[in-house]
Amino acid sequence: MRVSLGDREAFSLLYDATSSKLFGVCLRVLNNRAEAEDALQDVFVKVWNKADRYKAGGYSPMTWLITLARNTAIDRLRARKTGNVDIDDVHDLSDGSPTPEAEAIASSERKRLNDCFEELESDKSEAVRRAYLDGDSYKDLAARYDVPLNTMRTWLRRSLMTLKDCLSR
Amino acid sequence: MSQKEDHNDDAALAGEYVLHLLDGEELAVFEARLTMEPALRALVRDWDASLVALTDGIAPITPPAMVKDKLQAVLFPDAAKPKRSLWTWLAGGVAVAAIVVGAAFLTPSLIQDPVFEPSLTASVAAQDGTLVVAARFIAQTNALELTREAGAARPGRVLELWLIAEGSDAPVSLGVLPADTETRIELTQDIAQRLANGLLAISDEPLGGSPTGAPTGEVLAVGPVTNA
Repeated sequence: MRVSLGDREAFSLLYDATSSKLFGVCLRVLNNRAEAEDALQDVFVKVWNKADRYKAGGYSPMTWLITLARNTAIDRLRARKTGNVDIDDVHDLSDGSPTPEAEAIASSERKRLNDCFEELESDKSEAVRRAYLDGDSYKDLAARYDVPLNTMRTWLRRSLMTLKDCLSR
Repeated sequence: MSQKEDHNDDAALAGEYVLHLLDGEELAVFEARLTMEPALRALVRDWDASLVALTDGIAPITPPAMVKDKLQAVLFPDAAKPKRSLWTWLAGGVAVAAIVVGAAFLTPSLIQDPVFEPSLTASVAAQDGTLVVAARFIAQTNALELTREAGAARPGRVLELWLIAEGSDAPVSLGVLPADTETRIELTQDIAQRLANGLLAISDEPLGGSPTGAPTGEVLAVGPVTNA
């Protein structure tokens, strides 16, 4: 990404090219326009400040941006739920070992994920979705599926391993 | 635990981390390990790359334009300063006038204080010549002598003179020009020292001058300050 050169014009182009997808993600997670706008602003401030680290992270550009947007929105959602203001990135994407991933690979990954989700029982894939897109905690999920918290965790970890096995096949 | 079980455990842990399901001490320990273990970071990256597909069905929605405006203001704060708006204006209309050779000599006999020669001069001129003000700076007295050679303020408006000093962020007002064609402005030492290599500009302002301390109306004329 040219943004890593600190190029202001490139930043503007990147914003124009990606902001609507990222705003869609923020809005989906937060379900509140004003908060989604604030989150989007946070995302691009982070993009500006971290663009140099993107290069080292081994992420494809859109994966990196969407993950950043989703993480920022989830952090905001959690802060809203708990009243905490600690929204500093729980989740840093930097990494020292670059393995550039082409968008073409990413899109085949998407099909694979959907196929693998289908191998999970529907309520189990739904739990993963709810954690990813709705920011549900183990506590939220345990209440939703009416199971003890430890059971919920065992359940979800098993689902993750099933997914992982399927994805690495 | 076998190596494979270790790996499986980490793979699940990385998935929980990506889903933001870890908290408290578990989260702290995991994040500390992340800084030291490339293999763990790779597991996180794999989950991120896989799970991002969950956003595929989310339709793009154009954010309001003010989000971008606010971002530009936050990330590029100099863009919000008056100098920027002045330059934007300049780009919009008036081009920097060519230096008028010998402008300083056009009206030498009218100068009140003939003892001193100007050290700096500028011809602050509209590109089409509808407004021309010759400026001469007398270093010995810190006086800027101005002669309006063409044009005048618009009805009910005034002309305000600005200095954009070399390397400066914002135009500094040197004052509103009176109706007289000849004017003499006493500059402070600070302003006088910043005149060299600066740019003089004249803007159209409401009576009494710009209410904001920065140019608010159209820039009518500009000219670089050069050595006499």
